[in-house]
Amino acid sequence: MKRKSILLAALLAAFVFVLGGDVDAQQTFAVGAKLDNFKLKDTDGRERSLDELKGEKGTVLVFLSAQCPVVRGYNERIKQIAADYAGKGINFVGINSNATESLDWVKSNAAEIGYKFPVLIDTGNALADRLGASVTPEVYFLDAQNVLLYHGAIDNDKTGRAITTNYLKTAFDASLDGRKIEKTSALAFGCSIKRKGD
Amino acid sequence: MKKNLIGAFRVLVCGVLSGSLLAAGAAAQTKPRPKTSPKPKTKIIKLPPREVVSEVTQIDEAGLRAAVKPNGKPLLVNFWATWCDPCREEFPDLVKIDADYKGRIDFITVSLDDLAEINRDVPKFLAAMNAPMRAYLLKVEDEGAAIAAITKDWQGGLPFTILYNEKGEIAYFRQGKIKIDVLRGELDKLVTTASK
Repeated sequence: MKRKSILLAALLAAFVFVLGGDVDAQQTFAVGAKLDNFKLKDTDGRERSLDELKGEKGTVLVFLSAQCPVVRGYNERIKQIAADYAGKGINFVGINSNATESLDWVKSNAAEIGYKFPVLIDTGNALADRLGASVTPEVYFLDAQNVLLYHGAIDNDKTGRAITTNYLKTAFDASLDGRKIEKTSALAFGCSIKRKGD
Repeated sequence: MKKNLIGAFRVLVCGVLSGSLLAAGAAAQTKPRPKTSPKPKTKIIKLPPREVVSEVTQIDEAGLRAAVKPNGKPLLVNFWATWCDPCREEFPDLVKIDADYKGRIDFITVSLDDLAEINRDVPKFLAAMNAPMRAYLLKVEDEGAAIAAITKDWQGGLPFTILYNEKGEIAYFRQGKIKIDVLRGELDKLVTTASK
C-alpha cells in the first residue's frame, strides 16, 4: 500500500513537472496579503527599509529597468503619477531586480530620468521572487499597513497615446476615498525581469 | 611625341606583365596534380530557396485563441517584439528549432509590436532572421485578457514561448529567453510520443 502511494506520488510529481512551466516567478503575492518589512540598498549604497519609505496612505513598489523600452515609454507617466500622489500620502519606491543591469547603470539611468523617489537594488531578485514580480514595469500598491491592494499594469496603453483606463490611478483614488477597488489586478505586455542565472 | 612614346612603353610593359601572369596561371592550371593529393570529391547540394515570411497577419484576441489551437501536430508559439532585446537575441535559435523540427511540429510567432510596425520593422526583422514561421501581430484592446487566454501563469513578460501537444494541452512554457536544450528536450518528448 505504502509502495503504491509512493509510486502514485512519483507519477503525480512527474506529471506536474511535465506540464509545468518556467516563469521563474511562480510564487505570487496575492491581493490582500501583507508584505513584511524589507531592507534593500539604494543607488547610493544606503540601506533603506519599507517602513522608512512607506507613505502615510500607501506605497507603490514599481519594478523598473534601465534597459526596457516599455519602462522608458512609461517613465514620464510614472514620474507624473508619483508627483501627483506624493502630496496625497502615497509614496513611490522603485525596485530594480534585473541581474543584467549594473549598479552604475541603474544609478546613472535614475539620475538621467530624474526619478524623485529612491530606486532600490534587489540583488539576487529576492524581493521580486517574494512578490512574484516578473515584468517591467509592474506595480504593487500597498495600503498604509503594507497590505496589497492592486498589482500589475499602470494603465492600458504602453505607448501612452490611447489610454482609456488608468488602473493605478483608479486604485489610488478609490483607496483614498475609502471605496472598494474594483479592478485589483491588470496584466500587460512588458519586459521580463532578468533574474540571476537566466 | 615624347608623351606618346612614354604611353606606348607603359602599354608594352603592362601587356608583357599581363601576358606573363596569364601564362603562369595557365601553366598552373595545366600542371598535373601530384598523385598524393587527389582532387577532393565535392558533392554540390542544391538547397531549395528558403521560404522567408513576407507577410505578417494582424490578429485580435479571438484570432489568437484560434491561432494557438494545434492542427494535428505539436504547436510551438513564440511571443516577441522588435523592441525586446532578449526576443531578438533568441530568434536565431528559434529559426534553427523551426528548421530542425520542420514537418513534425507547427511553429508560429506572435509579435506584440505596435500595429504601425506590421509592414515595417516586424517583417524586416523576420526577413533578416530568415524566419519562415507563420507570423502574426497581436492587436487587442485588453492585453490582460489576451495574456490570461494563454495561461494564468504568464504575467505578460517577453519573450514568452509556449509549447502545446497535438491535443492542445500545454506541455511547456518559458517566460524570458529560451533555454535551448530544455526546449529541445520538451520537443523531443512530444515528437517521439506523436510518432509512436
